[in-house]
Amino acid sequence: MKQRLKSLFRLEDGGVLLSVLSLIIAIIISGIIMAIAGHNPFTAFRAIAIGAFGSQRAIANTFTQATPLIFTGLAFVFARKAFVINLGVEGQMYMGALGAALVGLMDLGLPAFIHLPLAILGGILFGALYAGFAGFLKVRFGSNEVVATVMLNSIALLFIGYLTNGPLLAAGSAAAQTERVLETALLPRILPPNQLTYAIFFAILACIFMKWFTDRTTIGYEIRAVGLNKKAAETAGISTGKVIFITLCISGAIAGFAGASQVLGVDRRLIMGFSPGFGFAGIAVSALAANNLLGVIPAGIVFGAMRAGSMELARTTSIPAEFSDIIQAMVVLLVASPLLVREILKVNQVAKKGGRKLWKLSSKTSSPS
Amino acid sequence: MEVVIQNIIPILATAIYMSTPLIIAAIGGAFSVRSGVMALGLESMMMMGAFGAVVGAYFTGSVVLGFLVGTLGGMLFGFFHAVLSVTYKVNQVISGIGLNLLALAATTLSMQLVWGNRGMSPLVNSLTTNIGGFITQIPVIGPILAGQSINFFVMVLVVIVSWTVLFRTRYGLRLRMVGENPKAANSIGLRVHALKYSGVLICGALAGYGGAWLSLDQLNVFVRDMTAGRGFIAVAINILGRYNPSWIVPCALLFGFADVMQIYLQNAGIPSQLIQMLPFVVTLFVLAFGVRHIRAPAGVGLHEDS
Amino acid sequence: MTPINAVEMRGMVKDYPLVRAVDNVDFTVEQGEIHSLLGENGAGKSTLMNILYGMTRPDSGEIYLAGQPVQIRRPADSIALGVGMVHQHFMLTPVMTVTENVIIGNEPTRGIFTDYKKANAEVQELIDKYGFHISAKATVESLSVGQQQRVEILKALYRKANVLILDEPTAVLTPQEVKELFVVMRELKAAGKSIILITHKLRETIEVADRVSVLRGGKMVTSGVFAKDCDASQLALMMVGRRVDLYSTRRSQVVGETALEVSNLNLSRRGVPILKNLSLHVKKGEIFGIAGIEGNGQTELIEVLTGLTKPDSVTLKKDGEPLTGKPADFLSNGVGHIPEDRLTRGLVVPMSIEDNVILGYHKRPAFSRRGLRRTKAIRTYAADKVKEFDVRTPNAKNLCSSLSGGNQQKVVIARVFSQNPDVLIAAQPTRGVDVSAQEFIYSKLLDLRDMGKAIILISADLDEVRRLSDRVSVIYDGQIVAESKADVWDEMEIGLYMTGSKQAGEETSE
Repeated sequence: MKQRLKSLFRLEDGGVLLSVLSLIIAIIISGIIMAIAGHNPFTAFRAIAIGAFGSQRAIANTFTQATPLIFTGLAFVFARKAFVINLGVEGQMYMGALGAALVGLMDLGLPAFIHLPLAILGGILFGALYAGFAGFLKVRFGSNEVVATVMLNSIALLFIGYLTNGPLLAAGSAAAQTERVLETALLPRILPPNQLTYAIFFAILACIFMKWFTDRTTIGYEIRAVGLNKKAAETAGISTGKVIFITLCISGAIAGFAGASQVLGVDRRLIMGFSPGFGFAGIAVSALAANNLLGVIPAGIVFGAMRAGSMELARTTSIPAEFSDIIQAMVVLLVASPLLVREILKVNQVAKKGGRKLWKLSSKTSSPS
Repeated sequence: MEVVIQNIIPILATAIYMSTPLIIAAIGGAFSVRSGVMALGLESMMMMGAFGAVVGAYFTGSVVLGFLVGTLGGMLFGFFHAVLSVTYKVNQVISGIGLNLLALAATTLSMQLVWGNRGMSPLVNSLTTNIGGFITQIPVIGPILAGQSINFFVMVLVVIVSWTVLFRTRYGLRLRMVGENPKAANSIGLRVHALKYSGVLICGALAGYGGAWLSLDQLNVFVRDMTAGRGFIAVAINILGRYNPSWIVPCALLFGFADVMQIYLQNAGIPSQLIQMLPFVVTLFVLAFGVRHIRAPAGVGLHEDS
Repeated sequence: MTPINAVEMRGMVKDYPLVRAVDNVDFTVEQGEIHSLLGENGAGKSTLMNILYGMTRPDSGEIYLAGQPVQIRRPADSIALGVGMVHQHFMLTPVMTVTENVIIGNEPTRGIFTDYKKANAEVQELIDKYGFHISAKATVESLSVGQQQRVEILKALYRKANVLILDEPTAVLTPQEVKELFVVMRELKAAGKSIILITHKLRETIEVADRVSVLRGGKMVTSGVFAKDCDASQLALMMVGRRVDLYSTRRSQVVGETALEVSNLNLSRRGVPILKNLSLHVKKGEIFGIAGIEGNGQTELIEVLTGLTKPDSVTLKKDGEPLTGKPADFLSNGVGHIPEDRLTRGLVVPMSIEDNVILGYHKRPAFSRRGLRRTKAIRTYAADKVKEFDVRTPNAKNLCSSLSGGNQQKVVIARVFSQNPDVLIAAQPTRGVDVSAQEFIYSKLLDLRDMGKAIILISADLDEVRRLSDRVSVIYDGQIVAESKADVWDEMEIGLYMTGSKQAGEETSE
């Protein structure tokens, strides 16, 4: 146990320290860019902090933003367990949103405790099927899943665009969106009028469940084996194609849940372009989580806070909100390169000997070279 | 169908026109993969190319300088990709994805900072030099070439030079050796890192030029997420084209053709979103049925000391 | 005047995170001699030579070539100084031609283009000079293993190497090819080159080397003694540090009924026939050994026998019953498998020993109930197996990547043996393990055989096949070309079958 704790804080792949340092470095670099662009980074960071945690409303916003990010981050991390890069989370989320909207729009005379779960299930199912298609292409034809899922993203977005502009367009609406889903299919809000819904708990529970699933079930074990050494898994009688297919379906189901939670909770209808790239932000979440299923929860909250905060930034200052996107992208790159982070720290150390603590951490772990 | 047959020459002409950036970018990808570095970051390099081109054209007023700055923009991200995946041994897929995210964020942010508009740049001069003169008089070829911009010749030049460099020069042999077996290349004293860097930088330059085509040849403006998946289509073309310029050309033409069909089908009353799916659906088909038995260089993703 | 040494390494040290691979080693090679560097797997021979060749940088130490102190930072430096290396795992690019592989880095050019005409001529001239009998224009993947090795030697000669390092050059060769290699080595020596032979084989050291140095655990235990003054048991003692039994074995006492029978096995890949109407059988209580040069269909045969590959045609019977299906079906039918490469097929190295020791059997009721893993049962089981099979690790929860090669192989052995297979497909069971692990694995295999189990042993190590098998056969070009009881054939005769230069039934013309 002690050893495991220790390894978590070592500066290497999968360590908490690496994630935290990467985040800090990314924030510092974006601050420098801000300063170069003529904005005061401290004003910006203050506005972000206020927007993320400054009030009850701010905290609600943070968790509202965190909800889909936890889902999409989880979808990405889980697929990675089987060494599958599911870049199609965005498209699967859109399809999930469609599934949830279709069920949610149906007036079946059902009570809420049946209609709502059905609508969520619709979202999960659509997401799973859509990801399953990419899985089918990979397993049956050996298609590169990265390119395939990106193509499927474009197709899904265009398809939803077509539906919300045509067959499903709300009567009299100028924007591409459907009618409101029925009252019985809505996710209740925790702190009305804030948009935060109980979906946040589903998101967190989903992470805990998937952690249990990968560690304790036999199929979870097979998924890990396939992810870490496909040939050995195959030799051991594991049907690798089936495992990859199932993994993608589950990943898509999680992404579909994200879409359902947006449609049934936040937007209360399917709106074209409802996602400002939650699916891709999920990649950043997964990176910050160091591909750890439980790590997705804090990572999702961090990025949720950044997103909520940057909205405040855009509202109250003239500083562009895109800085949070820059931070996200840099976290993806930095967490993936422990060697680079180490070297950045070394440069820091040479530049100023004040930051002794950081240096101590890094020197303990860096190899003599 | 009749419409297509009647208009075969303009359709071919447009198909060649539309596939020009894909050919150039995919050949860039070939240099990268041949050196053993996956090219999933093509999207980001094209994006930077498109953006850089408009920046260049906006501040200098010169289209030529625009293309130059676009090319440099692509190279910048090629350089990032090389630093991460070669020097710091980052997983090449993750590095590519991260750079794609970064390019989208960086271009959007820069537009906001420079022009105060996150969606669109101001209009700039675009390339107007079209092929003319005696060439257009040649039967069949003439009409096909008549509508092309000067970039048609650039594309042809890129195809020929790239093929020659890859398969007929010392540099090409060494580059391919590094991509096939970096350990072996290292063991006979080749500069593995330098060669990989060169492959990825060439990739960035060509992808950047292809991106510049989008914003300065086809249009005269940069819009947010301008490449919109074209980089990934170029990745698919590169795979399908066996990382070989002479194969990449016909594969890219297929996509150019799909692009043109959009325009014709749009007139047939099919909703535009459904028609726009066409190139993506074609890519999926090609990935599913076209890429079997294609052998990627054996050393992709490997390091000389692994 | 004392002769100048071709190579002199002084006080070499190389540390790796867990181990000091090379510990203050001095090593000297004279001009024009064949010097054998002897040692077990992991003794530090390859590390020491990688330092000399510039593939690895030492932590300290000095190198002198022809009396001059030199700095070797990368292979380009050592090549420029006239050092060439033939690696055990060939550094060749299979899709390229012999010429391309040889000239790369020193290509003749005309203008900006590579001058392939001149290059082909130069390489062919070199080939003919040393009588290598290959075509400069052939692609490397079309060559036999022995020929590929010559391409490696050509690479060094083309660069005008003066010192040639051969890393375990005989591991992949037939006895005949070994003889030919020795002829080449003596020719090179006569041409004034110095040769360093890295090996763990005693006989070839005695046969071809002028002097011997022995490494053990990273330390030089014997330096530069004359080979002609040594005998095998003396060298073995120096190499391992204790008396080892190099040759003893025992043969099967009770042979039962046929356990596994294969007939009419055909397999093609991309239209090229790999296995051609192959037949074999193995009986209970017997080890059936298959010798052969790698690449004659062994890998595919193993894949068919374990369900990994579905051949074009085959009749496969276990205990008289047809056996078909996927790897899972083969495992559940009692066909165990020791994969030929433990790192790619044998183990999921980044997972724990616990997870690995049940891999493939993880759905058995002992380890899984209603889709859930029985964590506690697995833990106890793994702890038992670690003890029983002498896997050297403080804890079964540790990752397999923390184990040495020999201990990793013991995990594979523990996994298969504990699930009581009726038939065992054992491929390269001791590849890359040290002598003590090898002895352990041999005794386990013989024990299993004596329990009445059937074992098919597929190995590129001819000594291993001859030592363990009750029946020996040879695979060549996708067929079992010969078969015999143990101890009938001598090494050279098997070698003739391995190269296809002799067919079963032919009389040896002595």
